[in-house]
Amino acid sequence: MIVQSILHVVVLVLIVIGAALAVWFKDLLSSVLALAAASLLVALEFYLLQAPDVAIAEAGIGAALTTAIYIIAIRRTARKEEE
Amino acid sequence: MIIEPMVFFIVAACFAFFVLFSLLRIGLGPTVGDRVVGLDTLNTLVVASMIVLGAAFDQVVFVDVAIIYALLSFVGTLYVARYLEGELQ
Repeated sequence: MIVQSILHVVVLVLIVIGAALAVWFKDLLSSVLALAAASLLVALEFYLLQAPDVAIAEAGIGAALTTAIYIIAIRRTARKEEE
Repeated sequence: MIIEPMVFFIVAACFAFFVLFSLLRIGLGPTVGDRVVGLDTLNTLVVASMIVLGAAFDQVVFVDVAIIYALLSFVGTLYVARYLEGELQ
């Protein structure tokens, strides 16, 4: 189906944009937010590939756990990346 | 009345197009607060498109994933908000 293929391409392009933003930001808190957006879209892509159990695992790890752990790490260290 | 699955896919493609603007706000947002709001909007859009796709694939299990996602995406936003407020420092 052509519409489904278009949806796949759009979601994949959005994943690449989110990952590029996560690498590009110097402010590490913004970088964590972009990483959370990218992992959210990866879960949507798993969902489109009809793997809902993998999408649940990605949701639990990517949205909740990774963001919390990275923010605890930023709290203990510096927030801005050094040149 | 039975709605064709094609209609649901078109709606989901529109949602994916709206996600682009939310990502734009995450990229451009001057402060971290703007980016948090952009991420929360993106969460809501993805949950909505998951429910629409669950209707398109005609499977009930897919809606459960959207419910779990709606519960868990809240935690990430909560953590960032508490960090910004200064409670975690």
